Amino acid sequence: MNAPERVGGLQQLLGRPYRTIRLEWTSELRQLRVRTCVRPIQCYSLTAMGELQQVLADIAAEPGMVRHFVMTSDVPGVFNFGGDLALFVLLVRAGDIDSLRLYGQRCVDLIWWMENAARLGVHTTVMVQGDTLGGGLESVLPFHKVIFERGAQGGFPEVLFNLFPGMGAWDFTVRKAGFRVANEMILSGRLYRAEELQAFGLVDLVVDDGEGEAAIEQVVRGVDPRLRGTLAALQARSMAAPVSYDSLMAIVTLWSDAALRLTDRDLRLMERLARAQARKAGGADEGAVEEIKRMELDTAWEETHTGITAWGELH
Amino acid sequence: MTLPFFGDLVVRTDTSRRDFETHPVVMDAVASGMSVQRYRALLLELYHVVWHFNPVCAAAASRMADDLASVRYFLYEHMHEESGHEVWVRNDLQAIGVAPAQTEAHAPGVNTLALNGYNYWAADRRHPCSVLGMLYALEVIASVYGGPFASAIKESLLLEGEQGVSFIGSHATLDAKHMAELRQVLNTVHDEAARAAVVESVQVNFHHFTRIVEAL
Repeated sequence: MNAPERVGGLQQLLGRPYRTIRLEWTSELRQLRVRTCVRPIQCYSLTAMGELQQVLADIAAEPGMVRHFVMTSDVPGVFNFGGDLALFVLLVRAGDIDSLRLYGQRCVDLIWWMENAARLGVHTTVMVQGDTLGGGLESVLPFHKVIFERGAQGGFPEVLFNLFPGMGAWDFTVRKAGFRVANEMILSGRLYRAEELQAFGLVDLVVDDGEGEAAIEQVVRGVDPRLRGTLAALQARSMAAPVSYDSLMAIVTLWSDAALRLTDRDLRLMERLARAQARKAGGADEGAVEEIKRMELDTAWEETHTGITAWGELH
Repeated sequence: MTLPFFGDLVVRTDTSRRDFETHPVVMDAVASGMSVQRYRALLLELYHVVWHFNPVCAAAASRMADDLASVRYFLYEHMHEESGHEVWVRNDLQAIGVAPAQTEAHAPGVNTLALNGYNYWAADRRHPCSVLGMLYALEVIASVYGGPFASAIKESLLLEGEQGVSFIGSHATLDAKHMAELRQVLNTVHDEAARAAVVESVQVNFHHFTRIVEAL
């Protein structure tokens, strides 16, 4: 290993100007903490994904520089709302399948890095406080250790507007929780409490609200003395239950095809969600989560009165 | 993966679009609507943007080189479709208590003058393809944000049907079709100077439009 090079790489990594993330370095543990802050609506915007990708590329370029990668959100009450809904509406209305696919590919590149982090010598931990929806939840699933505070909740609401989560949800939910849970979560569009997600096996640790920071410290310090063995075991785990880049990208292609078939009504539901996000960001008590619950109720009402269920439509 | 120009434009101007979308005044308007006074002020400014839309397109079309004939024809079609839409704005204003004579007498604010002024100047002096940047920005605003904004206005001002929101509401749907057509025509622009002019124009149009809403 070449120490001066590593310092140079680290300086470069920490010295870049970022708009949507904040970095913290703990040299004792070689821990890089990424705090995401896409304000005012915390989502995976193109800028946010570009900056994250740059950080991950810097880490990969200097093996050994980072041993622990930790991600949290700096936006109170929200881990991540997932995709940039306005961008989706723009691309769908323009019929731009190439850009939809590219957006999906960028998301897959991020989770693929996480999937391969152990091979790069990096242990990954994510701590979720608040809501994490759609792509937000997809993005946490490939982390080695997933911590939720008790008040956090997550789900895949995409089916409510006739879409599905296309950037890793199926592969990683099936791997961690099994086929039945993946079916239920993805096809219902329901939101789940932290304890429910833990019972499914998607979350490793649930701690009381406000205890997330201490939990990160405990996890990282617990893993660090046996890091090499843990990373080797995690690589073996990936081999035992493999997820392939090709499969992830094939699903992205299906997702972008499905997105292009969204109707005006579907897009209006997506816009309803975007409006709810804007209201919450503007200080309102209720936001996207409450809107999703209303949309779930609307769907249930339609099923009760028409006899048509989401499952019924599938068969 | 190399994107056609439309996709490239979306990526290169994403920050400008996000800056518009996440401006506190714009977010508040999309989430909660606005008072009737501010909505009147917005439509009065919009009236001048719409009124000058076709002349800007015409200025650009008249300067378009022959190798950009497809863009020129696209502009002809577009001008035809947009012709008379200022009347929709005037009718919406009338529905919320502004007489047509008042609308016509309204002097646009400095931000609207800056927006229109830039678009004429860019078509004349920067590159005629700049006009495609104006179209992109205004159609993104209409087709992506117009629908939720029209819903918010109807809820906050208790308007019935399309009364008072016919221009914004109908453009949200109309411009969806326009977005697909605009994507096709943008993908025929290969000259780097023309592309740079389009990118600049998108950035400037989002900037000035944000200032218009901010100043209401």
